[in-house]
Amino acid sequence: MADWAPPAAQPDVPSSPVIDPNAMVAVDNVTKSFGDVVAVSDVTFSVGPGVTALLGPNGAGKSTLFRVMCGLTAPTSGTVRVLGADARNDRAVRGRIGLVPQQDALFDRLSAHRFVEVSAQTHGIVDADSAARRVLDLVDLDADEAKPVGAYSKGMRQRVKLAAALVHEPDLLILDEPLTGLDPVQRNRMIRLFHQLGDDGKCLLVSSHVLDEVARLGSRVLVIAQGRLAATGDYRDLRGLMDDRPHRIRVAADGARALAAALVARDLVNGVSIAVDSLMVDTNDVDRFGRHIAIVAKECGVRLREVEPTDDDLESVFRYLVERR
Amino acid sequence: MSGVVTPVRAIQLSYGIVLRQLITRGRLAALLLVGAVVAAIAIAVGASDNRTDPVETGVRLISDLGFTTLVPIVALVFASAALGDMREDGTLVYLWLRPMDRWPIAVGAWLASITLSLPLTLVPLVVSAVAVDGGSDLVRATVLAGVIGVVAYSALFVLLGLLLKNSIVWGLGYILIWEGIVAAFGSFAAKLAIRGYTRSILTSLTDINLDLGDLSLPVAVIVPLVVAAVALVLAAVRLHAMDVA
Repeated sequence: MADWAPPAAQPDVPSSPVIDPNAMVAVDNVTKSFGDVVAVSDVTFSVGPGVTALLGPNGAGKSTLFRVMCGLTAPTSGTVRVLGADARNDRAVRGRIGLVPQQDALFDRLSAHRFVEVSAQTHGIVDADSAARRVLDLVDLDADEAKPVGAYSKGMRQRVKLAAALVHEPDLLILDEPLTGLDPVQRNRMIRLFHQLGDDGKCLLVSSHVLDEVARLGSRVLVIAQGRLAATGDYRDLRGLMDDRPHRIRVAADGARALAAALVARDLVNGVSIAVDSLMVDTNDVDRFGRHIAIVAKECGVRLREVEPTDDDLESVFRYLVERR
Repeated sequence: MSGVVTPVRAIQLSYGIVLRQLITRGRLAALLLVGAVVAAIAIAVGASDNRTDPVETGVRLISDLGFTTLVPIVALVFASAALGDMREDGTLVYLWLRPMDRWPIAVGAWLASITLSLPLTLVPLVVSAVAVDGGSDLVRATVLAGVIGVVAYSALFVLLGLLLKNSIVWGLGYILIWEGIVAAFGSFAAKLAIRGYTRSILTSLTDINLDLGDLSLPVAVIVPLVVAAVALVLAAVRLHAMDVA
């Protein structure tokens, strides 16, 4: 995959990534609109075996992109090839896809075993009972539990959905926020399972809006924001980009004007705006700023009341990536 | 690892899932109550002394209460929910994204709706026919008209559930406004409503004349079946082309 890349900002990264003809999923210039709302805009990428994380804030277009890949909705423009075919119209390919949809919808009156067994039967598996038991065990659910899934907790329902998606041993797994509602133990277990499936040659696309989750899902990440592919690459590079981007920090202090002058004089900030008892500073080197702010304040005889980053959330990272494009 | 899902198997699977989803205590209780009210009215009418012709009384009562209200409403409740609820709550994906044709999904849902609607409509209507002393002709006419009505309405409302949100409201509008008012304006309008055909079956088999029930028995039986088939084809096309949540 390409390096971190708002493509226009780094000429070495192609603005329209080349589609690998042998990729398990190839998304080529896909746009999806609902009336006037553009949910996915001109997205191009391809992925092969292993785990790839799709990272983006809520409403970024992740679920729409997954729906387009699975053929649940047709793209407005562009093409999607999944396992070499169009899942919307190719029956055989639909049998090679496992989907965990984001919505918390199950056949609530069925037991977990029956739900997964039905999933196996609708995939034409002969011994659906055994297949259901195998995957329920894999996600740590009791196949003999008679309670209907409508009475299950959110985390258990997530695992039922995952079992249903795995029961036919698909080549491509599309998992839309599959870790939502899981406790930390189950989360670790599922992440191990994803990696194991990836190591076995399956292609897994896993969406999340939580950066820490993505860190553990794998090194390959697609970042989507405002319907556009904001960046693609290795997770560690994303982390670096987060640290290197300009930061805005609010500093509440007595003697704000004197402190501002000292910070500028020492070249610790790119810019400062001064209010009555606080400053808003912009810096490209947040670590250096953090190491020196207390020292400078002491030298100036200024008492610091609060130092607070105002843009240290994931949303601001996505915004930054999109703005750089 | 996926295998082959034959159309017959797909119909079985769709039928089983939809049937299980449709059976709720609330639905069954409400519709049993509607049927019981119809039967109770017929029993009360049958027990009264001021009837000149029990067959005519029975035909009019069953036509007005049974085929104007009970049959279309019971079919609407089940058939519009059969795939409509799954479309709206997002569970349709568990049948849609599968290595099988889409038309068996519609057929399975239609059969599930019929399975539930038939007993909930035919039992109170046959009880009504017996209660008014309508004779075997009225019972036969009621059963045939009931089966034809349920089959046709169920197909139409399965399609409606796939086409529109709040399909039960639209379906009620169709039953009350189109079938109840517009179709009563003349024989041509009556031919555009299922009610005109069920009424004609009652008329043909009992020799009791009802307004706008003047179609021959073969026409009254075949046209609703054709309507059902066309509605199922359209439902299958819609299933294939629609966006799934």
